[in-house]
Parts: sequence; C-alpha cells; structure tokens
Amino acid sequence: MAAPGIIVVGGGLAGLSAVIKIAEAGGTVDLFSIVPVKRSHSVCAQGGINAAKNLKGEGDTTDQHFDDTIYGGDFLANQTPVKAMCEAAPAIIDLLDRMGVPFNRTPEGLLDFRRFGGTLYHRTAFAGATTGQQLLYALDEQVRRYEAEGKVHKYEGWEFLSAVVDSRRVARGIVAMDLRSMALRAFPADAVILATGGIGAIFGKSTNSVVCTGSAQSAVYQQGVYYANGEFIQVHPTSIPGEDKLRLMSESARGEGGRVWVPRKPGDKRQGKQIPESERFYFLEEWYPKYGNLVPRDVATRAIHKVVYELGLGIDGQAMVYLDLTHIDRATLNRKLEGILEIYEKFVGDDPREVPMKIFPGMHYTMGGVWVDNDQMTNIPGLFAAGECEYQYHGANRLGANSLVSCIHGGFVAGLNSLRYAKSAPAVEGDSGAAAEIARQAGINKELIHNEGNENPFRLWRELGTTMTEHATVIRYNKGLKQADEKILELLDRYNRVNLSDKSQWANTSFAFARQLYNMLELSRTVVQGAILRDESRGAHYKPDFPERNDEKYLKTTKASFTGDISGPRFEFEAVDTQFIKPRPRRYDAVK
Amino acid sequence: MPTKTVSFEIRRQASPDAPAVWESFELEWRTGMNVISAMMEIAANPRTRDGRETTPITYDSNCLEEICGSCAMRINGRARMACSALVDNLEQPIRLEPLSKFPLIRDLQVDRSVLFQNLKAVKAWVPIDGTYDLGSGPRMFPQEQEERYPLSNCISCCCCMEVCPQFNENTNFVGAATIAQVKLFNSHPSGEVLKEERLRALAGDGGIQECGYAQNCVEICPKCIPLTNAISDVGRDVVIQKAKDWLRG
Amino acid sequence: MATAQQPAAPEMSRGVQPLRAGQGYSFIWRRLHSLSGIVPIGAFLIEHIVSNFEALKGPAAYAEQVRFLNSLPLVRVLEWTFIFIPLIYHGVYGVYIWLRGQSNVVYYPWAGNWMYVAQRYTGLIAFVYIIQHVLRQRFMGVSLPEHPGAAFHKVQVELLNPWMLAVYIIAMLAVCWHFAYGVWLFAAKWGITPGEAARRRFAWVCAAGGVILAVMGLASIWAFVGPGYRNAPDDVAPAISIVAPVTPGFAAAAPLALLVKAES
Repeated sequence: MAAPGIIVVGGGLAGLSAVIKIAEAGGTVDLFSIVPVKRSHSVCAQGGINAAKNLKGEGDTTDQHFDDTIYGGDFLANQTPVKAMCEAAPAIIDLLDRMGVPFNRTPEGLLDFRRFGGTLYHRTAFAGATTGQQLLYALDEQVRRYEAEGKVHKYEGWEFLSAVVDSRRVARGIVAMDLRSMALRAFPADAVILATGGIGAIFGKSTNSVVCTGSAQSAVYQQGVYYANGEFIQVHPTSIPGEDKLRLMSESARGEGGRVWVPRKPGDKRQGKQIPESERFYFLEEWYPKYGNLVPRDVATRAIHKVVYELGLGIDGQAMVYLDLTHIDRATLNRKLEGILEIYEKFVGDDPREVPMKIFPGMHYTMGGVWVDNDQMTNIPGLFAAGECEYQYHGANRLGANSLVSCIHGGFVAGLNSLRYAKSAPAVEGDSGAAAEIARQAGINKELIHNEGNENPFRLWRELGTTMTEHATVIRYNKGLKQADEKILELLDRYNRVNLSDKSQWANTSFAFARQLYNMLELSRTVVQGAILRDESRGAHYKPDFPERNDEKYLKTTKASFTGDISGPRFEFEAVDTQFIKPRPRRYDAVK
Repeated sequence: MPTKTVSFEIRRQASPDAPAVWESFELEWRTGMNVISAMMEIAANPRTRDGRETTPITYDSNCLEEICGSCAMRINGRARMACSALVDNLEQPIRLEPLSKFPLIRDLQVDRSVLFQNLKAVKAWVPIDGTYDLGSGPRMFPQEQEERYPLSNCISCCCCMEVCPQFNENTNFVGAATIAQVKLFNSHPSGEVLKEERLRALAGDGGIQECGYAQNCVEICPKCIPLTNAISDVGRDVVIQKAKDWLRG
Repeated sequence: MATAQQPAAPEMSRGVQPLRAGQGYSFIWRRLHSLSGIVPIGAFLIEHIVSNFEALKGPAAYAEQVRFLNSLPLVRVLEWTFIFIPLIYHGVYGVYIWLRGQSNVVYYPWAGNWMYVAQRYTGLIAFVYIIQHVLRQRFMGVSLPEHPGAAFHKVQVELLNPWMLAVYIIAMLAVCWHFAYGVWLFAAKWGITPGEAARRRFAWVCAAGGVILAVMGLASIWAFVGPGYRNAPDDVAPAISIVAPVTPGFAAAAPLALLVKAES
C-alpha cells in the first residue's frame, strides 16, 4: 500500500506540528496555506510556552499545570485531552530546545522559566519577547527539511475552500483556490487536518493577523461539522488601538504603576496632558480601591468597556482610555519597560514617556472552534482539526502561554491519529465527490464575480466588526446579542448584493476576501447565538444579567450545527468530561 | 475647517505582463494612520483622487506587527515594512511601489519564495533524530543564546536582498538573510553537524563571494540583525572550509 | 485531479535564481580577485610608490632604483607573473563584477553604499590609467630596463604636459583610495575583522595607510614637476654619483604642501 497522503491546511504551529509527525512516520503531506507558512499568525505570540518542568525547585508538576488550566478555563474544558496535553508539555519543550529554539537560559545553561498569569509557578519557557516566532521558525525549518526530502509538498498562496466529502459523509480531500490564478482544484487525501487558527477578523479589528478569518472553520461547519463553544472569545484588556489592527500592550505597564483614566467630561477635545488632575476619572482606582489599576484582566476589561460604552466617556468619544505612565520618571521607565514602550512608539508615533498611551481591550483569542473528539477528529470521519481552530483545550478562558503548547500538542495528536485513521479508512468510491464539490465552488465564484449589486465587501466587514465588538465581546446582554444577530442577518442579505470593483481573475484579493466574508458572517451567528443561549457568566463569557456561573445548567459544551435556515444554527449541548477535577468556584482574589 | 488629507501615489500593475501605471489617492487623515490602514481605506472606497473608480490594491500583509515579514514594499523609494510606516512620518505624496528585485505578481505583491529555496539549499535546520522524547536539549550558556537570538529574529521580509546592489539576476546572489541563517545553525551544538555542507553550499554560484559589502543590508534590516558580522564570520568559515577541502583533496 | 476551467495565467518573470549550492567555480574566481588586489598587486603598489619616492632624491637616485629593480633575477618573469597578469585579471574581472552589480546609492545614500560605488569608479580609473601608464612608460619610447638612467627624464617629460599631470594626480588618488578601501574590504569579507568595532578601527588604519601612500605618491610627482630637478638630463649615468637637490630640505616640505592641496 502506498504511503498515506494527508492534507494539512494551515501552516502555523499546529499545522506544522502535524506535518512533522506525519512525515516522520512515513506519510506524505500536502500543506496548504494562504501565506508562506513562515508568516503564519503563530509568530505573534510573545510571552512563552507552558510546561511543568519544575526547574526552579518549586515542586511544580504536570498535575498542577493540569489543574491551573482547567481552573483557568472555568471547568468547561474536557479534562482527558487537557490532562494529556499538560503531561506532554515538558517533552515538547525539550523537543523544541533540541530543534534549536533560542530559549532564554540560566547561568548553568538550562532553560529559564518565568511566571505567567493564572499560576503560582515559574512554568513558562520563553525566547526573548518573540517566543511564538521562534517556535514557528523551528517547526518551519523541520518541515523545510522534509520538503527537501520530498515528503512534504507546500501549496503556499492557496486558500482552502471546502472539504471534499463523499456520499458516505467521509472526508476525501479538499477544494482549494490558487490565490494568483484564482483557479480551483480538488486535492484528494486519505485524511485532512484543519489548523487554520482563530477568528479575529469577525470582530473587525483584533490582535489577530489578517488571515485569521475563521473562513475555513466556517466552510466545514457549513458542510456539517459541529462548531463548539463559539461564544468563548478572549479579550485582552490593554491593546493599542490602531487604524489597521489592535496590538498588545503588555500588562507590565500597569504592573509598573501605570494609571488608567478617562476625562470626566464626555468628548473632551483637549490633549490628555492638558487635562487637569481634578478633571480626570481614574475609574479603576475609584471602583476598586483595593486593587486599583492592578485588578485582574477580566475585571479591568469590563470596567474599561463600561466606561466607554455605557458611560460614553471614551477619549474624544472614541473607544479608548488612557494608560498613563507620564508620572513616572524617564529613567525608571527606560530601565523597566523600554521594550514595550518602543513598540508603542513605533506603531503609534507618540512617546509614552511624554504622552499618556491610548489603549482599549482587544479581541485576542478564540477558545471555541471546530468540535473534535479526543483524537482531534471532527464528526466528519477523516477530517481532523488542531490548534486555535478547534475548541478543546482552553474551556471558557485560556491561560497565558498555554496556546503555544496546545497548538503543538494538538498538531502532534492530530498528525498521528490522521495517519492511523488513513491506514484503515474505507475505500474510495468513484471520484469521491470531488467533481461535484468543484462545481459547487465554481458556481459560488461565478455568482460572486458577476454580481451587480451596490455593496462593498470591505464596508460590510467593518459593520460586522463594529457590531460584534460592541455586543459579543466583553459584556453581553441578550438584547444586544439579539440586535447583533439581526445585524448579521441584514449583512447576509446585503451580501447578496456585493459588487466587486475588481472582477479580474489574477491575484484578486477582494474576490478572495468576499468569499471569506460570507463564511465570517455565517460563523458569527454561532458566536452570537451561542452567547444568547448561555445565560450565565463563565470565563470570558460575562452577562451582567446572569453574573454567576451555573454548572447545573451550563456545564456543557455548546455545539452548533449549520442549518442553512434563516433562524441560524441548531444547538445542542454535550456534557463536559470532568472525571479528574471536580468543578469549584473560580476566584482569583482568594487562594483557590 | 477643511479636513486634513493624506495623498498617495501607488504604482499599479494588474498582472506581470500588464503595463505599470501610477494612481493617485487622497484620503482623509486619521490619527495613527499607517500605510496598511490607508490601503484598507482604499479597499473600502476604491476611488482615485479624481473620483475614478478603481480596484483595491493587491499587497501582502498578515500580522501588521512587523514580525511576519509579509508587507515589505518600497515606500518613498525605500524598502520597508508597510505596517510600521506611519503616515505622519512620511513625506507626501507617499509613493508606494513593489519591491524591485522579485518577480511581480500584481500591484505591490511580489514573489519572494527564492529566500525559502535558499534556506533549503543551505540546510537551515537542526537535523534532529526524531520528535519522540529524547530528553533535554544541549546545554547552552546565556551568552550563546544572546548571540543566536538576534539571528533567529529574521522575519524573511527580504529587505536586505532588495537593497543589496549585488542581489540581482546577473549574480543570483543568495543575500544576507540566508548567510545569517547559516551562522545561526552552524552555531548550534547539534546544528553544527551540517556545518561543512552549509559552508560548501555557500561557496556555490551565487554564494557568499558575491557580497560587495555595501552594507545596505544591515542598514535596512527592520529587526537590526547584525548581518555584516554574519557575512564576515561565515565568509571566513567558507574560505577555511574550501582551503581544507582543497588541501585534503 | 479535477480542476475548473480557467484562462491561462500570465507569465511571471523568473527573478533572481536560488543559490546553486556547492556548484560552479565563481567562488574561486571572486576570492582570487579579492586576494590578487592585496598580493601581488597591493604589494607591488607599495613597492612602486616607495621606489618612486626615490625621485625626491633626484634623477640619479631614481635611476639607481630603476636599475636595481631591473637587476632582479628573472625580472621579466617576475614582471609578468606578479604584475601584468594579476593586474589584467584584477582589472578585467573587476569590470565584470561592476557590470553585474546594480548600484542604488540614489535611494540608499549610506556611507558603505557610497564606498561600494567609489570602489568601482576608482577601480576603473586605476585600470584605464595603468593601461596607458604601462604602455607609454614601459613599452613605448626609451626602454627603461635597458636605459635606467633615462627614467627620470622620461617621466618628467610626461608630467610636464599639464593634462598628463592631472591624469597622474587623479589616478594616484584613485589608486590609493581603491587600495586602502580594498584592504578594508578584504579584511571584512575574509572574516579578519568580523565585528563592528574591529571594522571601524581597521577603517582608520586603512585610511591612514591610504593617506600615507597618496602623500608619498604625490610627493614623487612633485619631484618631477617641481623646481628641484628642472630639465633633468636625457640619461644620467646610473650608479655613478648622486646629484644633490638644488634646495636641500625642499623635498621634505613638498609633501606637506601637496597634502593640503589634495585635501582641500
């Protein structure tokens, strides 16, 4: 029998991890990515990667890591895969180290570890301030090696459009579009792994990269894959609002004494520095006198959100508040915060030592995603998923530095299981539905290119982002969520009148974007409607009308399936695997 | 009060065989505007300065944080990353052109895959035995990490190649980025096993000898990688390797 | 594999080709070019400038120096092996290198980039100059290997032509510049100065060396055209006596004056 041929879609940490496992075990891989894989979004991760290596004499264990992860995720994660991930983590760090990742070192030449949010242990290995970049490069290099050996064929600049699913509902390959010639092509495979990252673009501006649209997840969701826990979206309290995207501002700015405030007068036009002390509203300090500016992330996020959207006190009427370091002397700032202040200077153009920084919470991470079983396989046999695009490792909230380890672990598990599956997969019949799928996709393309409406896809996208950010991020009210769903319906209707100003068939980026936009719209409904159904507050999902966690009713995985109906997805709920750790209240103001 | 505006001149080319044309755009100025956000604005409202309808600009971009290396282009003549190019710091009209040394795809989008092929040619990887658990990696002192880390920050933007007078279709010069990667992997305790092969590779046609040491690479590098140091170090190693090979036959 | 019908995609340019790992011989030729600039050409340049400096002592001393050099064993073999052939190689291959590069100093006007350009122009000036210099001084007119005593006069006649004088001065500066920066480049490319600080310090060393050579060279030119040895005889009897300079001490002051001139 010929070596199994697996398709991996996405070249971030999860995708490349899967590729490496498959190639190593003797399979061949066709690797698809919109961007050259070395430019995948994983490069953006800064902080580090968690593993209980216990190199600091603290008695850290993988069980402790497991507990922190489950607790941090507010008990929504299935415990079996999370336990396996935490146990695999130390060996993953060692492997990355052997691959040449320039992790920071102790004087003895061992790996250095730092502390991160949500744990009391030094558990986070890091490579400067660019850990994600360094890890991605290490995996990219290994994949390049397999590519040189002929075991991996890269299709960079190709976009996944859909899975090829045969009459028995088994995945047999994919249909992809060449983003230069816009040609459609079906690629057969014994198994397919999706590793297509987060869905930040649904929120307009986020800390995610441009390619993180969730388009691939949405495409398979529309083909019958469950989309799970879509309502769980992590928002980072301090990001730098940009005209093009949001960029992270490290929490250490507040740790070093940064004060958060807004002008007391709504729409005050003065520059921050000119506003006298008495006219400034230090809302965190006033509302939380005990913790002040150092309240936990979710509390800070909600407070900022409230000040802007409920009190209308954002700077100059915009969705921004000040994070002020100007009361601290330059020398101290340079000594402690130089790196992050330079980022602000580079992308904003202001010197944060002189001018208060403008920040706002930003959509950061997608906890939910494609539903998979413990083998990383979706409910369509032969179709696997790994990394941020699937749902299973972070529950209701992700701990810092857990994303990198979940991507790599998930990729490894998916890679090995896809091979095992491929070896015993049922025989293919006919062309397995490839021709029909190509025809369907060609039809969509044709309709889009010949549409003579009056809507611009980029403007529709902006409206989607505004709506989603306002109603479906930090604070959620059922009324607002319903408005958002209605808005999405309106946008779906207007999408039918999309008119592309560019109708060419060569490197037509607006054409590719318009296709993604439709998928974003469909996926948005799982987020919004999932949030409507969950009348509780858990992890990143917060409803002031239901401020408590309700395990009795909602200790459940949300599973959305596509109906094609105007009412949106059909939902069902699945019990969470809690066999190892009994759920307990999650509070960071007391010892857990 | 008239609104403050920003003007752009963008070099457009619908396809590799189409003629290049310049289009002018005038956009409303916004705080913190960068070149990418300007092009996003054009996509949402694709009209030239004189009101003529046009198409959104095709360009590469992804992270917009100067870490993925996608959005390199020539801005006012100079190669740089568009995401960190703030409009307020640029002379207007802001001229946007594609990188000139790479095959053009469309508008500002070019094909930089030659770098990835070069990385393959010099075996820029650590040839690990396998991904199974083989215990911890080699010990390495902080000083060694500090030497390697900057080299590992290369984002493959190809600016160093674009600005190099020697990187062109006559020389097929490999460029500074790849040479720095050779140094990176030769300095790793297990990566070193391929050191000789990498050095011999770099002595091939288009190899390190084509460097004219104009030092533009190190000036332009957005990540401030010590590229000229790498060229010197690797240059010496290649000479020694070739001499050894010659003497040993 | 099924595909949907598409119009033919436009053809893209090939672009810069990937590294031909370990293939071809350009490494040897290019490194040989680099090395030949140091030895033998650079070494010969130093020798030549030092020899010319003898002109400051007058026609007789100069004649003696010429005679001495021509008395070296196998001098014609040495001349071809260590001077003419390396010079031709260095010059011709250097032009080839130039033609393959694409200067962009207009867009990137940085010091290193200017030096890159300057190295090419000074190299070309030097090459053209050397061709005429060798032809006119070595192979045309009075044969100096056979008549070393005619050397001073032959050069003097050449330099009394103001155009030729300008050519010699420009060429002297170009050659010294090219050599000094060439040494610096050699050290940088061959990894002798692998660090920023080392390169910066060595740049001062090279600059100083270049200035010294240039001053010596220009002083020698002055010796031929200055008032010291006006109307030198067609041929002095070599190795008999040394003609004393008309104004002792003047020769020593001359380089200083020229230095000021050269730098202004």
